[in-house]
Amino acid sequence: MTADLASARRVMIRGAVLTVLGLLGVGLVMVLALAYTPEEINQGLAQKIFYIHAPSAWAAMLSVVLTGLASMLYLWLHDPRIDRFAASSAEVGSIFCGVVLTTGPIWGKPIWGTWWTWDGRLTLTLFLFFLLLGYHTLRAAIREPFERGRFSAVLGIMGMVLVPFIHLSVYLWRGLHPMPIVLKPSAPSLDPQMLRTLLISFGVMTLLYVGFVTLRYGIQLAHDAREAADAS
Amino acid sequence: MPPDNGHFLAAAYTVAGCIYLGYTVSLLLRARKAKR
Repeated sequence: MTADLASARRVMIRGAVLTVLGLLGVGLVMVLALAYTPEEINQGLAQKIFYIHAPSAWAAMLSVVLTGLASMLYLWLHDPRIDRFAASSAEVGSIFCGVVLTTGPIWGKPIWGTWWTWDGRLTLTLFLFFLLLGYHTLRAAIREPFERGRFSAVLGIMGMVLVPFIHLSVYLWRGLHPMPIVLKPSAPSLDPQMLRTLLISFGVMTLLYVGFVTLRYGIQLAHDAREAADAS
Repeated sequence: MPPDNGHFLAAAYTVAGCIYLGYTVSLLLRARKAKR
């Protein structure tokens, strides 16, 4: 076994442990939301979807911003480790984005009376999801590693550019989506018990992001090490 | 009296759980294949 393969194994084990901890955390958040957090009087139990939806959106935006920053660094430094991280983060970002785009409409139906509306935030998040799908398709289509990294970095940066528009969309275009209640200049406007559960969930989703990306990075590292060994 | 919409909560948690769990299984299978 080469040194790179041994190192990839270690990264994958670390990633698997973090991922399992993150998943246990998601379970804990669900239990906390159901058993500990009070029920909102106007929205009923459907409001508790928010404890998974909003932190997943945070993790999706974190993934896309880190993909964009890594892509910028890759265009400058041409380091394959940075490209590997950007690709891993983008893949994980599309998973979080998928959760946001499914849990959102499930909340929207009982609260807004419709599964979907072409509100600024919803539409831009859908665009971001399509952009991430395009990113993966592009990477799968190019075999030469440097070209693949260079072209996908451009898409990664474009995804990052969308993030501030998604966050500010509720101020720019008045739609149905609620205003931010935590990530805003003033203090969070939420009951303390609700806020505690939400903050725990933000931490858990960040941990899950780190676990997913570490595991995905390790897989890519092992794949690259094997290709290099086969070529030599 | 809050509205009775608990089934939407159950659906959302099930969908989110399945997506996260499904992706974890996919990563673990890929990791096992990569280790060989």
